[in-house]
Amino acid sequence: MSSPTLTKDEDARPATPGPAEGPAPERPDTTPTALSRFLGNPKAVVLVCAVLVVVVSALVSGSGAWPGALTADVKSPLNDLDDWLVDNRDTHWLFLYFLLHFSNAAESSVDSITSLFDSMGWIGVTVIGTLIAWAGGGADLSRRALRTGATGLAVFLICGILGVWEPTMETLALMVVAVVCAAVLGFLLGLASGLSDRFERILRPVFDTMQVMPAFAFLLPLVLLFNIGTPSALIATVIYASPPIARLTALGLRSADPAALEASASLGASGWQQLVTAKLPLARKQMMLGLNQTIMMCLSMVVLASLIGGGGLGDEIYQALGALKIGEALVAGVAVVLLAVLLDRTTAAAGERLDDVVKAGLTKTMARLRRAVWGLIAVLIALFAAIGSAIGEGEWPDGWTVDFTNPIDTAVNWLTDHIGSGIPVLGGTITWAEGFTESVLNPLRSGLLATPWWALALLVAVIGWIVGTWRAALTGVICLALVGWMSLWDVAMDTLSQVLAGLVLTVILGVVVGILCARIDRVERIMRPVLDTMQTMPQFVYLIPVIALVGQNRTGGILAAVIYAAPAVIRITAQGLRQVDPAAMEAATSLGATGRQQLFGVQLPLARKSILVALNQGVVLVLSMVVIAGLIGGGALGYMVVQGLSKGNLSQGFPAGIAIVCLGIMLDRLSQPSKGRVRD
Amino acid sequence: MNPNRIRNTAFAGVGIVSVLALATGCGAADTKAGGDDKVVLAEPSWVGATANAAVVKKLLEDEMDVKVEAKQMDEPVAFDALNSGKADAILEDWHGVPKKQKKYVEDKKTVVSGGDLGVVGHIGWFVPKYWADKHPDVVKDYKKLNKYYKDFKTSESGDKGHFIGAAPSYSQHDKGLIKNLGMKFKHIPSGAEAAQLKELKRLYDAKKPFLTYWWEPQWMNEQIDMVEVKLPKYTKGCEVPESKAKCGYETNQLEKFMNKDFANSDSDAAKFIKNFKWSTKDQNKVAGMIAGKKMDPEDAAAAWIKDNKSTWEKWIPKKK
Amino acid sequence: MSEAPEATDAPKSAERAESTASAGTEPVFSVRNLWKVFGPKASKIPGDTSLTGLSATELRERTGCTAAVRDVSFDVEKREVFVVMGLSGSGKSTLVRCLTRLIEPTAGKVDFNGEDVVGMDKDALRDLRRHRASMVFQNFGLLPHRSVIDNVAYGLEIQGMGKAERRERAAEMVDKVGLQGLGERRPGQLSGGQQQRVGLARALAVDPQVLLFDEPFSALDPLIRRDMQEEVIRLHREEGRTMIFITHDLSEALRLGDRIALMRDGAIVQLGTPEEIVANPADDYVRDFVRDVPREQVISVRRAMRPLDASEAADATGGATLAPDTLVSEAIEAVARSGESCRVVENGRTIGIVDHASLLTVVAGINREGESDGGGDKAKEVAAV
Repeated sequence: MSSPTLTKDEDARPATPGPAEGPAPERPDTTPTALSRFLGNPKAVVLVCAVLVVVVSALVSGSGAWPGALTADVKSPLNDLDDWLVDNRDTHWLFLYFLLHFSNAAESSVDSITSLFDSMGWIGVTVIGTLIAWAGGGADLSRRALRTGATGLAVFLICGILGVWEPTMETLALMVVAVVCAAVLGFLLGLASGLSDRFERILRPVFDTMQVMPAFAFLLPLVLLFNIGTPSALIATVIYASPPIARLTALGLRSADPAALEASASLGASGWQQLVTAKLPLARKQMMLGLNQTIMMCLSMVVLASLIGGGGLGDEIYQALGALKIGEALVAGVAVVLLAVLLDRTTAAAGERLDDVVKAGLTKTMARLRRAVWGLIAVLIALFAAIGSAIGEGEWPDGWTVDFTNPIDTAVNWLTDHIGSGIPVLGGTITWAEGFTESVLNPLRSGLLATPWWALALLVAVIGWIVGTWRAALTGVICLALVGWMSLWDVAMDTLSQVLAGLVLTVILGVVVGILCARIDRVERIMRPVLDTMQTMPQFVYLIPVIALVGQNRTGGILAAVIYAAPAVIRITAQGLRQVDPAAMEAATSLGATGRQQLFGVQLPLARKSILVALNQGVVLVLSMVVIAGLIGGGALGYMVVQGLSKGNLSQGFPAGIAIVCLGIMLDRLSQPSKGRVRD
Repeated sequence: MNPNRIRNTAFAGVGIVSVLALATGCGAADTKAGGDDKVVLAEPSWVGATANAAVVKKLLEDEMDVKVEAKQMDEPVAFDALNSGKADAILEDWHGVPKKQKKYVEDKKTVVSGGDLGVVGHIGWFVPKYWADKHPDVVKDYKKLNKYYKDFKTSESGDKGHFIGAAPSYSQHDKGLIKNLGMKFKHIPSGAEAAQLKELKRLYDAKKPFLTYWWEPQWMNEQIDMVEVKLPKYTKGCEVPESKAKCGYETNQLEKFMNKDFANSDSDAAKFIKNFKWSTKDQNKVAGMIAGKKMDPEDAAAAWIKDNKSTWEKWIPKKK
Repeated sequence: MSEAPEATDAPKSAERAESTASAGTEPVFSVRNLWKVFGPKASKIPGDTSLTGLSATELRERTGCTAAVRDVSFDVEKREVFVVMGLSGSGKSTLVRCLTRLIEPTAGKVDFNGEDVVGMDKDALRDLRRHRASMVFQNFGLLPHRSVIDNVAYGLEIQGMGKAERRERAAEMVDKVGLQGLGERRPGQLSGGQQQRVGLARALAVDPQVLLFDEPFSALDPLIRRDMQEEVIRLHREEGRTMIFITHDLSEALRLGDRIALMRDGAIVQLGTPEEIVANPADDYVRDFVRDVPREQVISVRRAMRPLDASEAADATGGATLAPDTLVSEAIEAVARSGESCRVVENGRTIGIVDHASLLTVVAGINREGESDGGGDKAKEVAAV
C-alpha cells in the first residue's frame, strides 16, 4: 500500500506545475472496474482527496512557507549553551568528575591497544589475527575454520601490501575498544529490556529512533562534549553500534523456548539461575547475530568518525580526498572492505559453529583443544608484545608494498572523463544530471515549497493513517511540525525533495536488479561480491568521483545515495522473491504460466511484503546518504550539519541534525505498514 | 562456545571494564591528555597546512629528536584544542574564527601568537583565465559580473548565476556580500575543499565559465590559471556581521598560534616553531609535490629540506 | 445407582480414601474450590455469585474474562496415579500448573501434605519445586545446549549439588529410563521418545514425592507413546510414587489412572475410577467421550452382574465362579467356556450372577434404565461443589 501511495504522492506534484519527465510510476487505471473498485475503498478515496487538496492548494497559494508566528528562536539558547560548554569544558564538575573520565579512558584504552599492536609488530598481529579468525571458525581442520583462518591471513597481508598497514592498525585498535564497549553496553541494555517490561517500554522507542537516525546527525553534540578526537569518535561509535546487540539480546531473552523456561521454573530455579542456565544460553544465537551487526556498524562508524578526529583508515580516506587522490582513498577503502569481510566472516562462522555445538555437542578432546588454542593465543599475544619488535619491524616493511594508487587514479580519471561528457549522442552523465536536476529535482522542490504546510501535514497524516495507524499519522505530523517550529521548513523541504527523488531511483533500480538476481543465478553470482563491496565501502570514497561524473550538486548526492542504498533494496527484494512459496510457483508453472506471468502474477504479489521492507530500508539509507552528500554540494540540512561540525557551531548544526532525525522518523513511519500495525 | 569459554569471555569483559574504571580513577579527571614529551600540531585540512606540518615534523624529528604528532583539525576546533592543551601549536591560521581568537587570546590568554608564518594568504572571487581573457572588463569591476550572469547559470542556481562558495570551515562572507552588492548570483556552498577542487577541475577542463571563492597559496594554482575579480576594498571590521558585509577580503599575514604553556616552556621545540617562517613560494613547492605529484607528505618535506638547507637552518635554536 | 460418587471425593477410592483416612495419612494434594481466571479484574470473578454460574461464553461476553479453572476440588492420595483428562482448552494444563503455582491460582486452596501452597513464600515454594514435586512437559522443555546428562542433572544443579555428584546421579537416572550410552548426546540428536525419557529422568533425578505429567506423550508417535506409557506403569509399580497425569487421550487415561477427573470448560464433570466413568457416564458429554471405549476391558463383573433372585442362595456352591473385580472380557470367556452363568463370589459369598445377557448388555453399552440419568445428575452436582 505504501509503495503506490508514496510514488503517487510525488508523481502527482511535479505533474501539475511542470512536465514530469522523471521515472513515472504506474498511474491508477481508469477502466470502469478499476474505478468502482477504487470507489469501494474508502482509504484510497481519502488519499486521493488529500492529494487533490495538496495540489490545488499548492497551485492557489504558490508559497507554502511555515508561518513565522509558529517558529521559535532555537538559536540563542543553543548559542548560550555552546558558549557555556566552551567556557566550562575544563572547569565544571560535570566534565571534571564525569565526562572527562570517559574521554580520558577512551583515549588511553585506544592508545594502549595501538601500542600493543605496535609492539607486537606486523608479524605478531598477522599471526594472532589469523589464529583468532581460525579459532572463531572452530579451531580445527574443517573447511570453515580453515577458510576463516585463510581469510584472516589474506586480509592482513593484503592490507600490508597495499601500504595501509599503519592506518589499518589504528582503525583496528579503535574497533577493538569500540566493539568491546558497544557489546558490553548493548548487552546490558538488552538484558535490561529483555528482562524488564518497563525498560523495554523505555528503550524500544529509543532504539527505533536510533535505527533511523543518520549517523552523521549525532556527531556534533559529541564533539561539543568531548572535543574533536578519539574520544568523540569512540563514543559516537559505541552509541551508534550498540542498539543491534541490545535489540537482539532482548529478543533472544524474550523469545527463549517457553517450555524450557517453564521446566526450569518448575525445578525451582531462582530468577538468576534461570537467567544464567537457561535464558542467556538460549539467547546466544541471537546475541551472536547482534554482535555481528554491531561489529559491522562499528566499522562503518569508525570510518565516518574520521570527520571528528577518529584517525585510521577513515582519516586516510578523508585526507587523500582532500588532495583529490582518488587512488589512495580507494586503496584505503579497499582495506576497510577487507576488514569488513574478515570480521563478518569470522563472526558468522563463530555463529554457525555455535549452532553446531548446540546441535551435536562437543567431544571432550575438541573442547580441550579449543581451550588450548585460546590459551595459546593469549600466550602469543604476551610473547609478541614482549619480543615482537625483535623478530621484525613494528611496521610493515616499506619495500613490500605495491603502489596501486597511480593506475587507479588514471583509470578513474579516464572513466570519469569519458562517461562525464564524452559519449556521443547520449551526452554523458553531466548532461543527464543537469536534466535530472531541472526536470525532477527542481520541480519537486518547488512543488514542496509551494505546498502550504497544512496541506503537506494533511497528506502526511493521511498516508500515515493509511499505511499504519493513527499513531503513525500523529508521529509524522509532529515531526513535520517540529521541523517547521525550528524555522527549518524550507531547508528541510529541499532535503525531502532529494530524498524522495533518490528513493524512487533506488527502489526502481533495486527492484529491477533484485528481480534479475532472483531469476537468473548468474546475475546473482556476479552481483553478490559487488553488493558486498558497495555496502561496506566507506561512502567518502565515491563522493569525489561522483563530482567528476555529475558535478558538485544535488544530483551528485542523490547518485551517491543510490549507490549506497541500492544494495540493501536489491538484497531484500531478491530474497523476498526467492522465498515465494514454491507450491504457488509450481501451481503457476503447471497452469502453463510464462516467466513473465509468473513474475507479475505470483512472485511480485507474494513478495510484496519484502518489497515494502526494502522500501523502508531504502528510505532510511537514502536519507542518511543524502545528508552526507552535504559534503559534495547536496546543500540543505546535510550542509548545515557539515558546517556545524566543522565550525563546532551548535546552534547551526544541532537543529539541522534534529530536523534530519525528524524527517527520518516521519519517512520511516510512513513506509512501515506491518510493523506499525503489529505494534498497536 | 562452551560454558567455560563464556565464563572466560565474561571474565575478560569484566577485566576490560575494570581496567577502564581503574584508568579513569576517581576524583577529577586530567584535562590534558597525551604524553608531554610529544609536540602536537593542529593540522587544518588544506594542503598548505599539510606542507607546513610535514616540514616542521620532519625537521623536529630528524634534526632535534623531538617527537611530533600532527592531528587533523580545522581552525575552530584547533583553537579549542590549543586552549585545552590538546594541541600545542597551529602553524597556519587564516583568522577565520575571530570570535574564538578573541576569547582565547585576548580574554582567557590561554593561547598566544607564535608570530607570522611568512606566507601571505589572499582570498577573493576568481574566474578562469580563459573566460577573463574574453571579458576583460569584469576583472577590474565586480559589477560587470551582473552583465554576464547568464553565462554562469546552472541547474542548481535557477535563473541566477552560480557562485561556487567555500567549504564550510573556511573564512567567508560571500553570502552576505552577494546580497549586499546586489549580485545576480546564487551562493552555492561547497561541502568540502576536495569537492570544490574537483568541481573546479572539472569545469576548467571543460573550459566552462565559473565564478568561485578562491585563495592563494593553493597548490592547484599550478594546474589551473585563475584571475581575480576586484571587490570593494577591505577595511577592518567591514565584514562583520556577515549580513552587512560589503567588502572583499583582507590580505592576510598568516599567523601561528601556540598554547601558552607550550610557548612559555622555553623548550627547543617551542623556539623552533616560533622561528619557523617561510615564503608562499616555498610552501607551494611542497604542497604541489604533495597534491599535484601525489607524493607522500613526508617525502615531499624531505625533498624540500634537502634543497633548502639555508632556509631552515635559521629556524633551529642555537645550542646553549 | 448405588455407587455414584457421593462426596467431593470419588469412589473406587471411597473405600481407599476411607482406609487411608483412617490410617491417618493425609492426601498428598488437596485442592478445594480452585479458580484460575484470566482477564481484567480476574480476582473479582470467583467471589461473585452472579458470575460463577455463567457458562464460559457468557462469562467472556459479560466480563471479558476466561475461567480456565473453575471451582475445582479433589484430593490426590499417596501412591495414586491421578489422571486429569479433557479436550484442549478444558483447563487441565492450567490446573496442574496451579498446583505448584507455575500459574498463580485466582482463588481457592491448594494443600500439599497439609501445607498451604497458596500461602507459601518464595523460598518455601522454591523448595517445594526443587525437592518435592517435579514436572514432565509436553514439549520436553530440554535445554538444547546441554548434553543429556547435564539436562538430567539440571534440577540437581539448581538445588546446588556439586558437579561430580549430580552427574553421577544423573547417569543413574539416564540408565533407569533406558537411555544407556546416550548421556553425552545433545537433545537435538535424540528422537522425540528419547527426549521425553530425558524429561522424565530430569524429573526423577530430584527424587520428588509427586511427579506431575503435563500431556507428556501427546507429541509422540502412537507406538512410542505406548512404550512410554509402559515405562510410566513400570516406574509406578517399582517406586509407587504419586503421580498426577494430564492427558487428552482417553485410552491413556484409562490405562494409567487409578482415578480420572474429567474436565470440561474448566470444571470437573466427573471424577471416578475408569470403570465408573465408562460404565456410568455422568452426562451426555462424558457418554459421548467414552462411547468408543471397549467397555468389556474396563468394566468389572461387579457392575455387570445381576443380583441374586429369590431362587438363588447366597451361599450356594458349584458351577463356575468369578471374583467381582474380574473384567467383563475375561468373564465372557469364562461364561462361554462354562456354557452357562457364573456366580460372582466375594469373601465366600455369592453376591451376584453373570450370564450371557448381562455381559452382552455391557458390551453393547446399554445402560439399565433410570440409573444413568440419576447418577449423572448426582455426579454433576458433586463435581460442581
